[in-house]
Amino acid sequence: MQRYILHRTWQMAITLFALMTLMFFLFRLLPGDPTMTVVSSAMDPRAQAAMRAQFGLDRPLLEQYLAYLVSYATFDFGYSFHSSGRVSDMLAGRLVNTLVLILPSMIVAYALGTLIGALLGWYRGRRFEIAAVLLATAVQAAPLFWVGMLAILFFSIHLGWFPPGHIVPPGAFPDPTWRMYLSPEFFHHLALPFVVHTAYQLSYPTLLMRSSMLNTIGEDFVEFARIKGLRERRILFGHAARNSLLPVATTIPMILGWALAGSVVIETVFSWPGLGLLMIEAVQRSDYPVVQATFFLIAILTILGTFAADLLYGVLDPRIVYD
Amino acid sequence: MLEARGLAKRYPVVTGLRSLFSARRDSYVHAVDGIDLSVERGEVLGLVGESGCGKSTTGKLLVGLEQPTAGTIALDGEDLGALRRRDRRAFYRRVQMIFQDPYGSINPMHDVFSAVSRPLVYQGMRDAADIRRRVLAAMARVGLSPPEVFAGRHPHLLSGGQRQRLCIARAIVLEPRFLVADEPISMLDVSIKWDIIRLLRRLVGDEQLSMIYITHDLTTVPTLCHRVAIMYLGRIVEIGTPDEVLRAPKHPYTRALVASIPSIDPHRKRPPAQISGAIHSAIDLPTGCRFRDRCPIGDAGCAAQDPALHAVDGRAVACLKASSTAPAATADTVLPSGGA
Amino acid sequence: MSWIVQFITAVRRTASGRIGLYVFAFFGLVAIFGPMLAPYEPFERVYHDGRLVRLASPSAQHWLGTTSLGRDVFSQMLYGARQAMIVGCATAIGVAAIGVNVGLIAGYFGGRIDAVMMRITDIFLGVPFLPFLIVVLAITGRSTTTIIFAMTLIMWRAAARVIRAQVLSIKQMPFVAAARTTGAGDFTVLYREIAPNIMPIALVNVTLAMAWAIITEASIGFLGYGDPSVTSWGSIIHAAYAAQMMYRAPWWVIPPGIAIMVLVSSVYFVGRAYEHVVNPRLAVQ
Repeated sequence: MQRYILHRTWQMAITLFALMTLMFFLFRLLPGDPTMTVVSSAMDPRAQAAMRAQFGLDRPLLEQYLAYLVSYATFDFGYSFHSSGRVSDMLAGRLVNTLVLILPSMIVAYALGTLIGALLGWYRGRRFEIAAVLLATAVQAAPLFWVGMLAILFFSIHLGWFPPGHIVPPGAFPDPTWRMYLSPEFFHHLALPFVVHTAYQLSYPTLLMRSSMLNTIGEDFVEFARIKGLRERRILFGHAARNSLLPVATTIPMILGWALAGSVVIETVFSWPGLGLLMIEAVQRSDYPVVQATFFLIAILTILGTFAADLLYGVLDPRIVYD
Repeated sequence: MLEARGLAKRYPVVTGLRSLFSARRDSYVHAVDGIDLSVERGEVLGLVGESGCGKSTTGKLLVGLEQPTAGTIALDGEDLGALRRRDRRAFYRRVQMIFQDPYGSINPMHDVFSAVSRPLVYQGMRDAADIRRRVLAAMARVGLSPPEVFAGRHPHLLSGGQRQRLCIARAIVLEPRFLVADEPISMLDVSIKWDIIRLLRRLVGDEQLSMIYITHDLTTVPTLCHRVAIMYLGRIVEIGTPDEVLRAPKHPYTRALVASIPSIDPHRKRPPAQISGAIHSAIDLPTGCRFRDRCPIGDAGCAAQDPALHAVDGRAVACLKASSTAPAATADTVLPSGGA
Repeated sequence: MSWIVQFITAVRRTASGRIGLYVFAFFGLVAIFGPMLAPYEPFERVYHDGRLVRLASPSAQHWLGTTSLGRDVFSQMLYGARQAMIVGCATAIGVAAIGVNVGLIAGYFGGRIDAVMMRITDIFLGVPFLPFLIVVLAITGRSTTTIIFAMTLIMWRAAARVIRAQVLSIKQMPFVAAARTTGAGDFTVLYREIAPNIMPIALVNVTLAMAWAIITEASIGFLGYGDPSVTSWGSIIHAAYAAQMMYRAPWWVIPPGIAIMVLVSSVYFVGRAYEHVVNPRLAVQ
């Protein structure tokens, strides 16, 4: 087991390293001088040189690369081209906003999804099951941003129940302390994106759990449980569902990654000030240090999440032998 | 026609990256541990033993599905090791295998005609008419008649016996001289087994084919085989004609095998089980005779020396205790008469 | 190519499969013929009596109304269908071509080749796709080819894994050994004996890849990183978003989403109908 952890940690490190290197060279070697945005050619050459020096853009590539690796290892992400502020400061709040939306949503979606999926698999053939499957497929087929927009159109614009986006009412200053996350306005703003995201992510674990259940129900041990005289509910949850969980659990590593990647979309639709939206804004402004840092953060969260999920999977399945 | 000398195959216990770290890296499973075989033209040699004795591995070695770790195999005098590397195709025109599992050994995506014609196609034959003629002929010979009707069927619609006939048709369509039949009937219904045995006997007789017939079922041996070899833990412990070996077995293991054949006669007295324990692991072989910890007549002398096959009464036995004077310990065994 | 026939026959066996197939075929026809039949050009600003027809609600002249720049939404939808189909099919083919072959070779030959190939797929396991793609597009420019290329590069991994696992279990079956005793070389055995048996699961994966590709391409378009020279359903919604008109012109925003939903659903239905071949337990008794 320890060897496996070591092996996976090594793998993570390599992935991260490869990614960071790729990002670095992507920005610097491909067409589009990153300095263009900051250093206008209309500026005095000495001012240009000074700006370049400030951002370390005048040093040889290898030196920049090493400096980049070192600073990222200490979570020092440099300074924004756009606002000249420290990137790490900008990221901290945004990171929390993203996590506060995505994590609970994924947890709820998965918990609810496996439950519903188990029920659907068990009551296969009934009308509600067929309808639910069709609904789940349709939801999976609809793009998230469009579903979000529809939700806003209906629940916010039309019914007026929820605000159409953002994290605080327009015009209000976001409370820079953690108290913001406990305020009723926050929850009011969180509600719609949370529900939309959860509903959207629900369909995949539901369908997966259902097909896993269908496989399990055919197995002999379920018949045996029936013969033993156990109550239906006990068989359903204690035996069939528990054994069907495995394939669903296997997908958790991937889902985490998808959710974080998808945060870009949902944050854009709801103007939710998270990492994803920050990245989009930074790309638009060609603010490369911010882009690099946000991407790095998203990537490292995804990789760590995958790793944690993998370990969890190993704990859940006694049949797993790590080699 | 076919001769194997000192044939051996061992598998490392740990493979892959682990082998660098494991303490067991020098342990091997000695599946086949030095056997000598010879089969003449038109002869059927039976290879009998319990699960794990190495008979299937031997079959795979002879057919080229595995490479021996020691020893040589010669087909009509030619060393197969060199031959196989040079020209696989030519080799498989001379040697073919009939597999044990009639369900798994046919590609589910093929229909009957396709399955039987594959060998011809893979050998490079292009003439569709020629292929068709050969395939239908092979199908007719194995009893899948009328061939035209069977040709379009899918294997999963055939019965076990029909599928095995299909496998045999596939094996003979290239007109090989030598067949290795790896437990061809063990997965078939009892009522079908004898049909297949008779089919094999007919094929062997008609074409003067040589065959090695691998089985764990002794009762089928006298009908089909000219000689039979008993294998135990990777070695051959006795060879002789079925009559000799089954009516008067000289090796204690053979005696136990023969005695364990079930009999319909309720009055037949069966001697109590002669051997104890279970088959030894093929990894750490005991010193001396490898059968000694189960043998009813083994003694200290058996631990010291590993018996080789030596001639006793016109056949070969690998037992220190075997001699012409040792009484045949079998009671009258009940065997089906040849030609059942 | 009997597996194509087998595929279509199997799909047509269930009602949902048939519906999916016909709807998909319908979109295919729209993709091919739509632009020819479109009443307007997608980027054409339409004038009536010298005035730009901005934000017109659906009418006889503009079935789905117009955008804030006076463009006919219905025509844009038709052109968007072509983009969606091209992207979906191209990605699906790419994923199939790479994923199937990598899976077959890695699974059959094992050893170092397998290890190397699996390491390559694992390296990019943690890459969040959408952000990555946006960054790449921002740097290399926004083109359909780049998008298809990037999506294929990400999606083939999953297909390769699944196929490799399947090959590993098929490899053990006696008919593979039987095929080797006919004198067939390794590649013959791999492509003529094993490959036909993995086609079902490969096809299921291909449908998933297609569905994902269509949605992802729409998302990219929505975020504003779609190919500016073509109209895609995602970019239609993006235009509404950029104009801040999304909640005031539902005719502009709703149809593209519905189109995506219907097309992708049809692909899912087809995939699920075919899954019954792969996994008989799922089939209705």
